[in-house]
Amino acid sequence: MLLECGSGESEVDMMGSSFLKLLVTCSLVLGVMAGSGCRGFFTKKPGSSKAGKLPGEEIVVPEKQGGEEQVSLPERVDAGARITNVVFDSVLFDYDGFKIRDSEVDKMEKVAKFLKQSADVLLVVEGNCDERGSAEYNMALGEHRALAVRAYLVNIGVPASRVQTKSFGEEKPVDPAHAESAWRLNRRADFAFYRQ
Amino acid sequence: MAVVVVISGFIVAAAVAADVEIVKSGSGDKLPIDISELKVPMSASGALFRKILKDDLVNSGWFTVTDPKGSPLVVSGTADLDSSVASVSCDVTHRGISKNYMNQRITEKPDQVRRLAHRLSDSIVESVKQVKGMAASRIAFIGKVDGAKDLYVCDADGGNLIRLTQQRSPCLGPAWWPDGSKLLYMSFHRGFPDVYMIDLSTNRRTVLAAYPGLNSGGDVSADGRRVVMTLSKDGNPELYVLHVDENRLVRLTQTPKVTEASPSWSPDGREIVFVSNRTGPPQLHILNPDGGEPRQITYRGSENVAPDWGLNGRIVFTSRRDGRYVICVFDQTENTNEPVATDGADYEDPSWAPDGRHVVCARTERYQTSLYVVDTQGDAPRKLTTAKGDWYSPACSAQ
Repeated sequence: MLLECGSGESEVDMMGSSFLKLLVTCSLVLGVMAGSGCRGFFTKKPGSSKAGKLPGEEIVVPEKQGGEEQVSLPERVDAGARITNVVFDSVLFDYDGFKIRDSEVDKMEKVAKFLKQSADVLLVVEGNCDERGSAEYNMALGEHRALAVRAYLVNIGVPASRVQTKSFGEEKPVDPAHAESAWRLNRRADFAFYRQ
Repeated sequence: MAVVVVISGFIVAAAVAADVEIVKSGSGDKLPIDISELKVPMSASGALFRKILKDDLVNSGWFTVTDPKGSPLVVSGTADLDSSVASVSCDVTHRGISKNYMNQRITEKPDQVRRLAHRLSDSIVESVKQVKGMAASRIAFIGKVDGAKDLYVCDADGGNLIRLTQQRSPCLGPAWWPDGSKLLYMSFHRGFPDVYMIDLSTNRRTVLAAYPGLNSGGDVSADGRRVVMTLSKDGNPELYVLHVDENRLVRLTQTPKVTEASPSWSPDGREIVFVSNRTGPPQLHILNPDGGEPRQITYRGSENVAPDWGLNGRIVFTSRRDGRYVICVFDQTENTNEPVATDGADYEDPSWAPDGRHVVCARTERYQTSLYVVDTQGDAPRKLTTAKGDWYSPACSAQ
């Protein structure tokens, strides 16, 4: 699986198998310049309780970001507290669209009911696209899909502070085939739950 | 300190080929040029230097490299490559009319023989043709190798391939700082789509935008002080400009129900071209960051996306025509909008080379994606990436 985002497993095996494979697959290796090793830890983001490890790369996160704009989406969840044993059906979308179809409404009603019964749970709605179109445009389209589901949930009574959004664009297909049968499943919003 | 893997697809050829051909191609006549009078050391670095210079001159689109008898244009001089400083002192003259186009000395660090050849090629192009070259440009892009996506750079001939990250998470759309010192890109490294800046001399990465929701699609203004990107922190994907020095964020669009993406600055920093679906399918629009209504500039094609506004004032972008993705160039003064390369494959994500003639883009055929250099004047597309993997989202540095 390509993506392990949100599972708290962002550590990368520095000299792991993929690293070696890359060396083998390239036609001619001129040299490997290794630095002083993997001492790099990115600084903690304010509000985040978990720092990840990076292979020799240091990430600097400014203490304060941006200007005086009001942030209207809630702060991000702690990626470590993912609840993996609660699964709801994904909401599907039309090509290049983010309107909620009538057929998808029940799926969101079930999610709203679950959230009402589980006061300590946060939801991240993950928007996805099929592989067609530009990757950057699909990032925005995926976010729109996630926001459309979020708006519906908020509209039927889920507190806005409990629902975040994340777009994967076309990066996380459930079916990698290059056909409409796969694309219709990939144009979706997934529900990912986190412990508060 | 960073871990950097240097890979090269180049096998160094020891001999200098001497083809004689006056090529009439789609781009018109090419000037025959003779580089056999340029003295290089009898060493591996000498052979590499000569091969790269020859390839660069051919790749510039303006020359054919000929044998001594066939050519009025002569490159002469000496390359010193095995000292503490690599250097080349060089003249370009016209045999027939004894005109001297160029007399120049170029130096580089001793391990930068490739770069020395690239810079010499650009100097020759500039002095003979009075246009910029592209050989010394560096290309940043995304590579997917064994399912892992990372950020890479290579030279404009595909050599000197270096992997910059080892995050193995989806990343998108690198963009250069104008001085070539830093790159901007989006990555899921920390689980969410964030915009990072990576300093190429230290490999240090700084988070530029990590707001709730989407952070993506950055481009840096020509003065290096403003970054335009797409953020959804206020509840909808919108365009914002980050004034980097002041860490100040300014919102440009306010369009609920509409998607904005892929912004690119005009060379003078006064306008931004971007993708929006405000009128239906995704089309290109231009806005002034200081205010005013955006104006739509593309109408043909079912989809027009991924614009790059070149130093030549022209906008290159991806257009979907008859079910295929093709590269198109929009010329504001002539208001034309023409496809460049059409050979049955999909061409996407174009980036202008600094010569304003070539465009680097991702070409997909049978679900394999590689980088190609496409000539807007008609020469055949040239494959850039040969290593195993899929290669996307190229961005050319200005020098």
